[in-house]
Amino acid sequence: MQQHSLSRALLGATLVLATAGAQAADFQFTGDLVNNTDRIHITFNLASASDVGLWTDSWNSGQNFDPVSALWVKSGSDYALLLEVDDDGSVAPGQGDFDTGMSFTGLAAGQYLYTVGPTFLEPFASGQLLSQGFTQDGTAPMAITLWNQPGYDINNNDQKGTFYRIQLSGVDSAAVTVVPEPGSVAMMLAGLGLVGAALRRRRRLSGGGPGGPGPAADRAS
Amino acid sequence: MGRPIDVKPLPSGTNRRSFLKGSLPAAMAAASAPMLLSVGSMARATGEAFQHGVASGDPLADRVILWTRVTPPVAKAAVNVAYAVATDPGMQTVVLRGNTKTNTNRDLTVKVDVLGLQPATTYYYRFTAEGSTSPVGRTRTLPLGSVASLRMAVVSCSNHAHGYFNAYRRVAERADLDLVVHLGDYLYEYGPNQYGSLRTPEPPNEMVTLSDYRKRHAQYKRDADLQEVHRQHPMVAIWDDHEITNDAWMNGAQNHTEGAEGTWSQRVNMGLQAYYEWMPIRVPNAAQKRNNQRAFQFGDLADLVMLEQRLSARSKQLPATIPTPFGAGFVQFGEFADPSRTLLGAEQEAWLATRLRTSTARWKLIGQGVMFAQIKLQGAPLAQGGGVFANSDQWDGYQPARDRIYNVLKGGGNQPRVDNCVVLTGDIHSSWAADLSQDPNNPDPSTGGYDPQSGTGSHAVEFVGTSVTSPGLPDPNGSTAALLRSINPHFKFIELTQRGYMLLDATPQRVVCEWWHVDTVESISNGQSFAAAFEVRDGSNMLLESVQTPERSNPPALAP
Repeated sequence: MQQHSLSRALLGATLVLATAGAQAADFQFTGDLVNNTDRIHITFNLASASDVGLWTDSWNSGQNFDPVSALWVKSGSDYALLLEVDDDGSVAPGQGDFDTGMSFTGLAAGQYLYTVGPTFLEPFASGQLLSQGFTQDGTAPMAITLWNQPGYDINNNDQKGTFYRIQLSGVDSAAVTVVPEPGSVAMMLAGLGLVGAALRRRRRLSGGGPGGPGPAADRAS
Repeated sequence: MGRPIDVKPLPSGTNRRSFLKGSLPAAMAAASAPMLLSVGSMARATGEAFQHGVASGDPLADRVILWTRVTPPVAKAAVNVAYAVATDPGMQTVVLRGNTKTNTNRDLTVKVDVLGLQPATTYYYRFTAEGSTSPVGRTRTLPLGSVASLRMAVVSCSNHAHGYFNAYRRVAERADLDLVVHLGDYLYEYGPNQYGSLRTPEPPNEMVTLSDYRKRHAQYKRDADLQEVHRQHPMVAIWDDHEITNDAWMNGAQNHTEGAEGTWSQRVNMGLQAYYEWMPIRVPNAAQKRNNQRAFQFGDLADLVMLEQRLSARSKQLPATIPTPFGAGFVQFGEFADPSRTLLGAEQEAWLATRLRTSTARWKLIGQGVMFAQIKLQGAPLAQGGGVFANSDQWDGYQPARDRIYNVLKGGGNQPRVDNCVVLTGDIHSSWAADLSQDPNNPDPSTGGYDPQSGTGSHAVEFVGTSVTSPGLPDPNGSTAALLRSINPHFKFIELTQRGYMLLDATPQRVVCEWWHVDTVESISNGQSFAAAFEVRDGSNMLLESVQTPERSNPPALAP
């Protein structure tokens, strides 16, 4: 009986390993977002056609935010949208209903961008090109910890967690950036604008010669 | 912080589970199958995915809970749902669109708290999912500021097994209501023929597990009359005991066998999980789900306070052991006089006291489960022991706790008295109107008693509504009611045999309660009759016989 149990246990272990092997992630990125308008951008390359899996497993029955993802392929100086998926928990073990994921057989060689963010407005991407942005661009950011996400369970006040884990399989190399919300970018740009105005003003002041700036320079600033 | 209200409309005709945009390179034709399979362009019959109707509840001035449940044509673990809110029954003037999701972890129920609405406004709403569209529902936000009138129905004790919900249908037909209040026993736990045999419960056993509770809720929500009352009016609901099981208290229940039916805390957790999934109510405290007390403001006219009296703190009911000609009773001695025994718990008592004392509204309506007025089998003044009481599950079994509420009403110390309280009660499947006095069998108001002729000595009033279906008492010629009134002079109206609902009509001058009774629950029927009306006038704190109130002219159209 003992031997039998042992062999059964070994068989089970083998199966688990095989499953894990089929779904093994080559790369894993984890972190925390702050606002509902934040996004994670992951670039990866394929030297040749490959079977690729891209997924999250951090939703965790609503412990963390409900993610949406989009895959883009390099197209000239821009990226073109290939696919957008809100919910798919069937790509790998450990995923939940509202995790996101996609899998491809023989995805062509090229440079790709995988974008992941909290599910907010639908669709996720504004258009067919990355340069057209995302639908939540321009909305006021809300902290995920305070936000009632569309997929949250009102009975449990869930999906307030900020943690994300993104897994990639079948890719050669990958790099991640977290994109701050457009509001912050706008504020940074506005800040730059002020610096620019101050610089211009200084230049005008220094270039105005004796007597200081004329009225026209003041109006211009 | 709330969900975004500026949500873009859904692209029509596509399933959003996997959103496919742009052309796919040939290399991706074999992309994972689930993404492609469920793109549903085929139109489905209206409502196919919405077999449990739509509902709304817990309205505030700027928001309301919208509820539905999705039944996917093909079993699915998670479903995307879109909703739209309009100001017209034809859904032409949509003011808000949104999307939400559900999954099997919440039994595919859908609940959204729609923000950004206008006060005192009737809205129409519907859901779309899985290629089908739900029936249109109708709801209404609460008013702000100066309010001239409030009109609402009050229901309780709706046992599916005991018959048809004709009372719900009659309430649904009234287009001039602001709200429907359900005072508990919305569903019952029993198995077939254990309590009612006109309809067979699903599942065919006492509900004990999460699956049982969910299936029972689902059965109730498939009832056409129940669906209609939810579809036409927002509901504010509290549970009484049968939402979990009979005569529940904090750590157990009469109809719970510890061990054989799991632990009490497990059973409560499962019952409440299903309740919160299936009822259109807001969760006051996600960390303490037993604490369901909450409050609603109708501008300056009325505050509605809804109490939790079963699961958060209630002390165990004490047995009635004193024989009387009318059955076993109890007296206010021994454990019954223990001030540590509680119905609400210290936290909720303090919350209620603060709300009553600080309310600036004309009327304070207290929605709660069990009768506040005394029901005695032998009457006596407090100075002579107070007499023999009938039902230890109601406030009579918690007299020191009730006295603490009276102390709030009467004021004293540094606290002002609280006038214009109206207690609304369900639970006992019969119709009652009571002046509320601590010592109703003492005819001298100057010593804390109550004069039944003038009403002097009454501190508030109570309206007790009969059941939607659950059985009352056989009292064919009213002799039992007459006997009870002779022992209990604070009751101005007792009717023990009929099913129905209460209609409450409040103005700044008075609150009128009408009792409406349906002709039968044994078949689907349209018959109803006006039974009685009593009112309380501003500042009087006592009942007067009243008359039927007129319906509002030009009420918002019912949902089609």
